[in-house]
Amino acid sequence: MTQADVASTANIRPRRRRRRNLTPFLLLSPAILVILFVVLLPLLFSFYTSFTGYRLIKPETLYQWVGFQNYQRIFADKNFWAAFGRTVLFLTIALNLEFLLGLGIALLINRITWGQRALRTMMMFPMMFSPILVGYQFKFIFNDNIGILNNALQALGLSEGAIPWLVDKYLAMFSILFAEIWMSTSVFAILLLAGLFAMPRDPLEAARVDGCNPWQVFRHITLPFLMPFAFIAMTIRSLDVARAYDIVDVMTGGGPAGRTELLWTLIARVGYDNARMGQANAMAYISILLSIAFTYYFFTKLIAARKYMGGAD
Amino acid sequence: MDRVLKKRIGKIVTWFLTFVLMLIISVPGLWVVLTAFRPNREVLAKPAIWIPQDPGWTNFAKIFGFGAEQIAIPVPAYFANSLIIASTSTVIALLIGMSGGYAFARYRFKFKNKIFLGLMLSRTVPGIALSLPIFIIWSRLGLIDAKLGLIIVYVALNVPFTIWLIDGFFRQIPKEMSEAAQVDGCTRWQAFWHIEFPLAKSGIASAGIFAFLTSWNEYALASNLTRSTDSKTLPVGLMDFTAQFTIDWAGMSAMAVIIIIPALILTFLVQKHLIAGLTFGGVKG
Amino acid sequence: MAAIRIRDVVKNYGKLEVVHGINLDIAHNEFVVLVGPSGCGKSTTLRMIAGLEDITGGEIFIGDRVVNDLPPRKRDISMVFQNYALYPHMTVRENLGFGLKIAKLAKPVIEERVNEAAAILGIDELMERTPAELSGGQRQRVAMGRAIVRHPQVFLFDEPLSNLDAKLRVQMRTEIKRLHQTVRTTIVYVTHDQVEAMTLADRIVVMKDGYIEQVGSPLEVFEHPVNTFVATFIGSPPMNMIAGRIVKKDGHFHIAFQADQTVPVAADLARTVTEGQEVIFGFRADDLMPDEHAMPIPGASSRLRLKVDIAEPLGTETILFCNFAGKDIQAKMLNPRPVPPGEVMDFSLAIDKAHLFDAASGHNLRN
Ligand SMILES: Nc1ncnc2c1ncn2[C@@H]1O[C@H](COP(=O)(O)OP(=O)(O)O)[C@@H](O)[C@H]1O
Ligand SMILES: [Mg+2]
Repeated sequence: MTQADVASTANIRPRRRRRRNLTPFLLLSPAILVILFVVLLPLLFSFYTSFTGYRLIKPETLYQWVGFQNYQRIFADKNFWAAFGRTVLFLTIALNLEFLLGLGIALLINRITWGQRALRTMMMFPMMFSPILVGYQFKFIFNDNIGILNNALQALGLSEGAIPWLVDKYLAMFSILFAEIWMSTSVFAILLLAGLFAMPRDPLEAARVDGCNPWQVFRHITLPFLMPFAFIAMTIRSLDVARAYDIVDVMTGGGPAGRTELLWTLIARVGYDNARMGQANAMAYISILLSIAFTYYFFTKLIAARKYMGGAD
Repeated sequence: MDRVLKKRIGKIVTWFLTFVLMLIISVPGLWVVLTAFRPNREVLAKPAIWIPQDPGWTNFAKIFGFGAEQIAIPVPAYFANSLIIASTSTVIALLIGMSGGYAFARYRFKFKNKIFLGLMLSRTVPGIALSLPIFIIWSRLGLIDAKLGLIIVYVALNVPFTIWLIDGFFRQIPKEMSEAAQVDGCTRWQAFWHIEFPLAKSGIASAGIFAFLTSWNEYALASNLTRSTDSKTLPVGLMDFTAQFTIDWAGMSAMAVIIIIPALILTFLVQKHLIAGLTFGGVKG
Repeated sequence: MAAIRIRDVVKNYGKLEVVHGINLDIAHNEFVVLVGPSGCGKSTTLRMIAGLEDITGGEIFIGDRVVNDLPPRKRDISMVFQNYALYPHMTVRENLGFGLKIAKLAKPVIEERVNEAAAILGIDELMERTPAELSGGQRQRVAMGRAIVRHPQVFLFDEPLSNLDAKLRVQMRTEIKRLHQTVRTTIVYVTHDQVEAMTLADRIVVMKDGYIEQVGSPLEVFEHPVNTFVATFIGSPPMNMIAGRIVKKDGHFHIAFQADQTVPVAADLARTVTEGQEVIFGFRADDLMPDEHAMPIPGASSRLRLKVDIAEPLGTETILFCNFAGKDIQAKMLNPRPVPPGEVMDFSLAIDKAHLFDAASGHNLRN
């Protein structure tokens, strides 16, 4: 090895090292580009339009700057706040019930030894259904005239007339929640069941030897171990809570008379049916912030729970 | 004696609850399936007819344009659109997801957690909220009512979650596996194709199926970005039925069955890997 | 020729420096063992030789090539990993042949080399199984087979035996040694187990906290440890170490311990010590012998009377735990007899074989 060789290798080194550091970014660039083009760019654009009086039918209004007028208007709009409140309430009830039911189902299936695999597979089906199908299915079942539910209630003599499941304010909300929970509980059940399977036996036995009763064992050993799994489920769920739009759109279309209007159906109505894009975008922004807040909250919870489970960096 | 009795009661309760649970899960779907094989007048009958009187394939024949009765809804076209859009976007999302997932699983780099979080958050944007600006931009680009327009959107929709899953699957493969292959004479690229890819194959397949189903089932965006038989997908097409004055429940149910069947089969195929991928990616970080 | 030269090699993980400019020359066909406590940078060093980690600073030569910027596949090495890293989706035969297939060798050549390796390691019977169907020891053999089929210039081993049970570990240790004699290549072997290092190595490299403490043959390292760390790390039971101070008594240097106990300084060290110097006195259990052995002690010796706290019979020898100058020390007894706790025995300490370390620097005063 001559001096020149040593010098030339010394020259190569920095170049190679730089390329190595770039590799992960190179690998990630398609993903990042797609997201930039399909999500970030449109969001920036919609952020801009939320400050204009843009109407679909009048293209020139895209440049009509109105400042915070759209936001002022929706903040003063009772319908908007009603939809907003309904959405938050809807999400809170749905996510909590899904968690509790999912936990119950996971514990139940965990106790069953015979046919457990088949049960697990069945559990996953609702999760894979198109929300639009779930909506249709329950629109059919809750139909006041020919729905199986009313037919069955009448046949059994439990109810005289037709119960207006999808028309009454509270019943309609209940029906939609039912559909939503039917569709999404399995996300929790499946992941919590995976958690139960992964649970080491020693701490359970140690706790029993230490004199815990079954409830205490569950409360102090099982539940804390399951929480990271619950947070994964929460995170996954919060990624697509807006799927509820599909269900509502099919089942009630936000009606009757706006009684089941959620933020998302309201956005669609204002944006497409009334063609007031600027205002719809302002609402959309609020719905986005809501979703991000939900996801971010669960994601940080997940990271925290993961740390204490001894996860990686 | 007391203990034995207690155990037996516990068992009975468990089985009873499980039975009720399965009933709740399966009856709605089964009822739709049953309806798909009945004529509409039977569905509308009052008082209700519980046992199908003359079950048959007429609804399906009608939808696909065979048989005597014709309906105006071009289901075969929708079916073809759904298939093309879902498979194309899945393949692209998988390629992008593999490359990104590998980066997260195998490299340390700056802003790693931030980029991951950013990708995930991009997925939280509600479809309907995203559809507004995309609608405006796509109409300028001529991508409204075009398959390509929807394919691009679905790729973006699927990339974050595909990365999450594939990252998890690659992480399950010890890093030494790839290192051993590199010492054995492989380039990193060869090591990936000979060792890591075959080992993660089934996981990647299930990530693909998951992506396929997401596209197959999507409604919020498709309903606003499509107009005609050129690009309308099955879920959007399903709503064609409700637009008519009287709802053709039987025909709609038949169409629902057509949408469900691929979902059922594919779910059945991936369920095991999917759970593994979700939990591993999440818990072990 | 596959000598390895390591020149001022530094490794950083981000801002943290974990290997601090080490230098090492490994001769052609030499068996070198890197040994040290966990986290001292052995694997990092080995992986830099393999090309699995970037080298932050300095240079590594294999033969006469600087390999700093060569990827692993161009370094003509092979490596056995701690967890074997066998490819789970390939049979044993495919595992062995994989590297040759990548190198695009002809089928018959691959066949021949794989069979040759299988014969050397006695795994002919296992060729059609997958790694999941093998026991720990068999996986270990396959991993070694995968390394030797390629006829590389250098073998790298990273704690290859640490996943085996004690008995198998001893057996595989012998096999690795035999393998070295059969295939004759340069071997760099990493372990935290000093017994493994002593039994396998031509030369031992003792590492600590990213520095090389000492390089030498097993006997050199055992008999002439350069500092207190090497002295306590190498050898079992570990060397007895007692802090003391140099005093002058009757014109001779002595080491004074707590409770006024003293031991004379060996004659060859009389020039290196100064009065009042703080030192650490070290001696091996073998050099503190009960008088009942009636064996002559080479060189000067010092008589000690000690009470035995606990005795651990090991069959051919018994380790006696005693207290000397407020410190627990160990002595070795070769007479096979039970020793009741509390028995008081007379010992002779081989002064000339004992070591004296500077208390401040830890350096052996004899070197
Ligand atoms: N990838 C890494 N990132 C950061 N620090 C590391 C990494 N790998 C090893 N280290 C640190 O470098 C030091 C040396 O590690 P290693 O070479 O694996 O030790 P050992 O001697 O046990 O093989 C340790 O302190 C370890 O924590
Ligand atoms: Mg190590």
